[in-house]
Amino acid sequence: MTTITTPLPVAAARPASATKPSRAAAFATLVRRRMLLSARTPREILVPLLTPVLFAAVIAPALAKTAHAVKGIDYQSYVALGTVGLLLPISCMFAGIGVIIDRQQGAQRDLLSAPVPRSLLVVGNLAVALLICGLQLGALIAVAALRGSDFRTTLTGTGWFAMAAVLLAVTMYGAAETLANRIEKQEEYIGAVPAIAIVPWFFAGSLFPISSLPSPLAAFAKVLPLTHALALMRYGLVDHRASGLREIWGWHNPSAMAAASLAVVATYAVVFTLVSVKVFARAAVR
Amino acid sequence: MMIEADELTKRYPGGVEAVRGVSFAVGPGEVFGLIGPNGAGKSTTIGMLTTTVLPTAGRATIAGFDVARSPIAARGLSAVVFQEAVVDQSLTGRQNLEIHARLWGVRPAAAKARIGEVVRDFRLADLVDRPVGGYSGGERRRLEIARSLLSRPRVLFLDEPTVGLDPLIRFELLDLIAGLRRERDITIVLTTHYLEEAERLCDRVAIVHDGQVVALDAPHALLAALGSEIVEVRVDEARALLGALRARGVARDDAFAVGSTVSVPLHGIDARDAIDVVTEVAGSAAGVTVRATTLDDVYLQLTSKERT
Repeated sequence: MTTITTPLPVAAARPASATKPSRAAAFATLVRRRMLLSARTPREILVPLLTPVLFAAVIAPALAKTAHAVKGIDYQSYVALGTVGLLLPISCMFAGIGVIIDRQQGAQRDLLSAPVPRSLLVVGNLAVALLICGLQLGALIAVAALRGSDFRTTLTGTGWFAMAAVLLAVTMYGAAETLANRIEKQEEYIGAVPAIAIVPWFFAGSLFPISSLPSPLAAFAKVLPLTHALALMRYGLVDHRASGLREIWGWHNPSAMAAASLAVVATYAVVFTLVSVKVFARAAVR
Repeated sequence: MMIEADELTKRYPGGVEAVRGVSFAVGPGEVFGLIGPNGAGKSTTIGMLTTTVLPTAGRATIAGFDVARSPIAARGLSAVVFQEAVVDQSLTGRQNLEIHARLWGVRPAAAKARIGEVVRDFRLADLVDRPVGGYSGGERRRLEIARSLLSRPRVLFLDEPTVGLDPLIRFELLDLIAGLRRERDITIVLTTHYLEEAERLCDRVAIVHDGQVVALDAPHALLAALGSEIVEVRVDEARALLGALRARGVARDDAFAVGSTVSVPLHGIDARDAIDVVTEVAGSAAGVTVRATTLDDVYLQLTSKERT
């Protein structure tokens, strides 16, 4: 190496004081950013709604004419809630596409060089995914009710429904974020969506009780978060005798079974979120 | 020192060693260049300083903050303009600016004033409320540089800021970067493979080759070592000619051959006399040029052993 012959230019140094936003301000900014991006991508909001709404508004009423009730619940309402198990996973997986776009064509690297904890980037995206899921869920329930589904609930029932929906969405967003940070290309990610968002729906008691499945598949269904979430949502809105929960747990106390299923979904939500933050942090730093 | 890098090393899984023990220090207010070809390790070095690449070994600080131990504090003092487009394309320029300002802790009222300032200074008024996806390469670059200044960073990293731009826009941007130096109390680290850019903008440059710093000094000092003039000869047998010119005392150790070109820095010999010797040795068919020494010559001289 050649010798340094030129002295360093010396400017009057300002005292070093790093700028740093509060976590709340950084979170609010990240949420605002994701909302602006989502608002400019209407497909992210509308496409996931399409299939569940068609199920609730067209297929469920038609099926209800041949199969009148499942465990005392009218079939149309039963299937309408089953479609929530399609809506939330698809919606969250669509949100994961935004992570890939951020990385490939967006401002992700600028966000990574910001003086904020990188986990906030994941949490900010999650918050907006939940908000969009909430809006979509409201639309789906409204369409199903207008088409004749019968949701009779109490405040507690609404609480079970909401908690199950939120925790399922958190779980699915964790899966989406993890996958988006492990898969390089958008095309490959989209190819993986059906396996994660749709396949579990066939086993989770969406269109029929899990007791109708062969026993190995029924056992498999019981470990899926979607099975627990759907049983909880139905318990909250239509299945007041907790028949879905009883098929999973076989107990007599509905509240205990609901609490146990909620704990299962919550565990999935926490684990998937932690994994997604870890995977994001690893992918962000080479 | 505003930036200190001490034996920074990056080895990627699979054994590729992108950076091999790079050390340098950058003073406050200095414009420091990391120059070298694509793949030399410049961007990886910037990545380690901006905490997006984890060093395998070594240490670096920004204003005393260790980039590995206090990454958030280090990031709070700096901003980066990346080599490729790093903007939210579907958002407007203003939205991109607002988000950046807020993430760097600039309060809304101050952010609004600073955005107004950079929009004026960087001539973005006609663009700033349009989605960035419709900007040209030069416009987007102006926006990105403007964005990087919103937090009034102490250290600005410019990673190949002019790559891929047409010459007119490139010169415009170079003026703009030179202006930053004059108008703001800021330390700039610039990576480029256009050596004339480094010569024009930088107080000192580190020439990076194959993951290592092979020279570090002020551009004029690096140029002075090779003398002010170079005789360049194009022949089929470049290495043979180089040996012959050395034997005749025209070329010293710092003469070098790359491909079919021999470059002979002139020390204590008149250009006309040197050309006479070259013509005698290589024949009159050889293409001979006499020109001023540039940083390209310094770079090629330092790395030519592996090229001939």
